[in-house]
Amino acid sequence: MNDDIESRLRNALRRVDPDEGFAERLLAALPEQPLPARVAELRVARPAAPPSRWQRFAAPAALAASLVAAIFLGQQMGAQRYADEQRAGLEASRELMQALRVTSRKLDVAYEAVRDRDAPPARGDDEETRT
Amino acid sequence: MTRSESHAVQADPASIDTRALLSSARGGDRAAFASLVRLHQSSVYSIGLRMLGRRDAAEDLAQDVFLQLYRRLDSIESLDHLGFWLRRVAANLAIDWLRRSAWSAQPLNEDFPEPAAPQVDDDPLMTRALSGLLGELAPAARAVMVLRYQEDRDVAEIADALDMPVNTVKSHIKRSLTALRGKMIGARLVTAEDMP
Repeated sequence: MNDDIESRLRNALRRVDPDEGFAERLLAALPEQPLPARVAELRVARPAAPPSRWQRFAAPAALAASLVAAIFLGQQMGAQRYADEQRAGLEASRELMQALRVTSRKLDVAYEAVRDRDAPPARGDDEETRT
Repeated sequence: MTRSESHAVQADPASIDTRALLSSARGGDRAAFASLVRLHQSSVYSIGLRMLGRRDAAEDLAQDVFLQLYRRLDSIESLDHLGFWLRRVAANLAIDWLRRSAWSAQPLNEDFPEPAAPQVDDDPLMTRALSGLLGELAPAARAVMVLRYQEDRDVAEIADALDMPVNTVKSHIKRSLTALRGKMIGARLVTAEDMP
């Protein structure tokens, strides 16, 4: 199988000549004198200028600033969470007190009702005062 | 060799003392350099054409490669080294161009010219279709296939030229052949019986 496809590939990929006058067009684009390889390399890969003081400290400064910002944000979030929890606790305590008050009031009413039912029949003066 | 003498030099490998050409080109003889270009232009241009799929891009790439050669003639040790150097730079530059542009995402649809030396049993339809299918391979795999089947290089040299392990080259060849076979059958260029 591979032999067949390999021979087809070799046929399909035979070399092709560029358009007429390729070498002449190339010569026209050549510099007058060939630069020595080392000079050419220097020109192509010119060493970068030494980094300025700002460039040297920019990355560590940015890192430090990010760190400080992260710590500050973390603290803020912690404080916020603590305040929220405290507020929720107070609210719950207030609701509990309210519930206890309502229950206590209902118990008073029930006690009054039971006491009135079990009390001896009232006398006349009592009725006057009751009305 | 004087300049007038070197102008008379023709790019016929059989009649040229290519070692003298290399030496003259190193000495700044532009005509000798042009002769070296003519000797290798079809190889470099074809690598560009098979890799990039466009004649204008292939010519740009070939010009770039020969300009680099002109600057680095001093580092070329021999004629074998010259051929290796040109193939290596052309293939890697093409891979670089493909990775930096949208070319890699497009199958080759260039109307490929007939090969320089057409054979009697040549099938132009198959040639065009195979060139197109080759363009669907990833840049590195395409470069391996071009160096293997266009330039007829062995796996060790391809590995050296493309800076990849020999086993990776072998794996690229095997997988690409399987993929191409599948695509050819899928495109009904051949039947499964033709390539069992």
